[in-house]
Amino acid sequence: MLACEVTFERLAGWRVIAEPSALDTVAWAPDATPVRISPDDAFVIGGPAPGLSDPHAIVTPEHGFVGAALTATELDHLATHHIEWSLPATWPALAQGQIAGVPAKLVLHADGSAQLLVATAAHHEMADRIGATPATGGTR
Amino acid sequence: MRLVYDGQPIEFEGGDTVALAAIRNGQHPARGGTLCLAGDCGNCVATIDGTSWVRTCQTLALPGVIVARHPDGVNPTMLGPDTAADIDVRHLSVDVAVVGAGASGVAAAAEQRTAGHDVTVYDAGQGSEVVGTFAGPSLIVRTATGIDHVHAHSVVLATGAAELHPVCPGNMLRGIYTQGAADAIAAAGIDLGTTVTVSTDVARFEAAEDRPGAVAVVVLRDGTRHECDAVIVAAGSAPRDLLARMVPNVRVTIVGPAAAAHDLPPAPTGGVICPCSKTTVEDLQGVWDKGFNELELVKRASLCGTGTCQGSVCGPHLQAWVGERKGERPLPFTGRPAARQITLGEAAAGYHIDTFRRTPLHDEHIALGARLDKFGGWSRPWNYGDPVAEYWAVREGVSIGDVSTLGKMMVSGPDVVEALERIYPNHVHDIKVGRSRYVINLSERGHVLDDGMICREDETRFLLTFTSGGASVAEMWVRDWIETWGLKVHVLDRTVSHGAINVTGPLAGQLLQRLGVDAASMPKFLQHRHLDVAGIPCHVMRLSFTGESSFELHHQIHHSRELWQALLHEGRSLGIKPHGLQTLFGLRLEKGHVIVGQDTELDSTPRRINMDWAVKLDKPRFVGRDALIRTAPLPDERRLFGFTMDGPAPLEGSVIRPTTGPAAGEVVGHVTSSWDSPLFGHAVLLGWQKRLPHSDVVEIDGREARVSAVPFYDREGARARM
Repeated sequence: MLACEVTFERLAGWRVIAEPSALDTVAWAPDATPVRISPDDAFVIGGPAPGLSDPHAIVTPEHGFVGAALTATELDHLATHHIEWSLPATWPALAQGQIAGVPAKLVLHADGSAQLLVATAAHHEMADRIGATPATGGTR
Repeated sequence: MRLVYDGQPIEFEGGDTVALAAIRNGQHPARGGTLCLAGDCGNCVATIDGTSWVRTCQTLALPGVIVARHPDGVNPTMLGPDTAADIDVRHLSVDVAVVGAGASGVAAAAEQRTAGHDVTVYDAGQGSEVVGTFAGPSLIVRTATGIDHVHAHSVVLATGAAELHPVCPGNMLRGIYTQGAADAIAAAGIDLGTTVTVSTDVARFEAAEDRPGAVAVVVLRDGTRHECDAVIVAAGSAPRDLLARMVPNVRVTIVGPAAAAHDLPPAPTGGVICPCSKTTVEDLQGVWDKGFNELELVKRASLCGTGTCQGSVCGPHLQAWVGERKGERPLPFTGRPAARQITLGEAAAGYHIDTFRRTPLHDEHIALGARLDKFGGWSRPWNYGDPVAEYWAVREGVSIGDVSTLGKMMVSGPDVVEALERIYPNHVHDIKVGRSRYVINLSERGHVLDDGMICREDETRFLLTFTSGGASVAEMWVRDWIETWGLKVHVLDRTVSHGAINVTGPLAGQLLQRLGVDAASMPKFLQHRHLDVAGIPCHVMRLSFTGESSFELHHQIHHSRELWQALLHEGRSLGIKPHGLQTLFGLRLEKGHVIVGQDTELDSTPRRINMDWAVKLDKPRFVGRDALIRTAPLPDERRLFGFTMDGPAPLEGSVIRPTTGPAAGEVVGHVTSSWDSPLFGHAVLLGWQKRLPHSDVVEIDGREARVSAVPFYDREGARARM
């Protein structure tokens, strides 16, 4: 099996669960990268805790993901060898599904690059299966 | 050029297949049977360079290749030298896939291209061999470099037709060739000697005394005999439609000879019908006489068509044989992947077993010498080398256990109390902020699905916990119900984002105080607080699964290792030891706590596991309530009991037999949990009795066991509140 030689890194951010309308109108900090997982769920990489208009919103620090930046070439390799489903036709987009049998998310950028997101708990398995390097460390 | 054939070097010509090389040297590629040299039959398979079941007629001869014929009458090991990890898998999407590059395939490809489609052609002769078709449609294609999983918008099968083989006595002799095979042999410049060409008019083949195993005479149905060195059979053909028959309800188009109408051969009366499985016509009659009177049943009972070629050779003959008896032509049987033998590595390539997650403390466990095992989708410590020492650390000192695998879900919203009241059978509205309650989940049928805790954070926010194995299902369960009811509740599953360490034992509180928790803020039993432990923000839940005073420290996973190390360091003078699942299971068993899924069955109601107390039927509505009310008046034979017996503890799963009463000696249940209690010096068990009247004395593992009140340990629950 040809290896996908990328390295996972631990990600720190926020998990925000709120009314979709509240998430739609959040003013994200310039250093934050929001990933809209579903209409009521966003994983925000970096930045401060966002303020929301929904009083019942759940806003909590999120350290449960690792990520790997993929060049267009690396993404093509990953898609060809480890993804059984078709990527979205138009980018930017978020794609979610199993990659090498492990649940994962792909943030697809307009320039053809992407960020691969995987639960920290499962990323060792994915790293082993695709030939990537797992994240190190774990303490603050 | 030479290759090695059955241990001896043989010469071959450039362009020879391995099969042709063998024939060129006077060898038969297999022990017997008609050769087609077209890849349809399995009569030329051999082990090539360590991979068994390779069609030698489809394999180019190369210098130094090592070929070994399969042993007669014995199936070789089905392994190749590769593993799934060695094989490159590609997932490809194509517009139109045309399978077959013969005349009909070329025509089909041209037609599709004219229609504006992007066409990809697959053909074994061109290095891309389709070995399976699946719904989608998708194709599994073997290439020189690996396996391609091809997803196509549409598939055109242009696989042509396969020549019929003769089925009659003597048809497993060497020296019988189809017309196509004979043509290929002639084209290779190989002389077969004196040949006789026959069609479907063969009565039998015979060998000569001086050439045992090889055909020497062909006897026709009219009784005429023809001596020969080889026989050429021109008996017509049948569609090569195995790939199409794998996906009978999927949109694939079949063209050319593969789709042509054809006559069946005469029903055979003797001989081997299925060379792969060595099924004879007499075998067919045997299963027919036993009542297997449908083609699919005859196949399964006789194994005709279940071998290497998946019915390519025997299929039309079997149709004819069954059709003659039923008076109508039966449909051909379903095709099964793989159409060609692939190695186990090729079959497994690109497929993965379930993911087993690691807790954030995985490396800590390994460093401590833990024996890891897999539970509930996680790799978890089973023990750290001395489960008895771990046990006593919990009972008499302090211990820590990694419970990061627990399901952890935050729910928040204006309707959250209403939602939880409907989901859980216990009361929720009266749980005060900062308090928690044990709860079970029920299905609509009133069966126990899972259990866990509810912790109230504020008026409209709760943290729910679930079992490690039930967490993912619980999330779907909660989300589905909330959506169904249209309630306004936000749900966040933070199982993998938060770690949890259980600090347990009579000295647990003392350890937390050493790590900065002041005594006044220490939560009491079934309370929970947000506190810093060793400077790390933790949600501290006071509860008890072990039976001792216990504090679950829930925290962000990037703090897990630091927190774990601080607990071990500060607890050193208290004799702290980590404990694994083996000890935890024993500790909880002494307390009589059930493990859902181990002690429960799929239809276990709260009554059956003695947990009616966790159900409040005075509530107007909760999932499973109607079923519990409906079944409450009915007698129920099934009941989970606690037992004690002298050691050693019997295996979990051991059967339970009453020693007296109407069911004496009969199996009435089984042991679900079993543990040699270091404290009691005897075994404690949980197990089912499923026959009334329930017995106080039973036999387990040939020894006497007695029903015992549960919990076995600390019935007043005082130690958890210490």
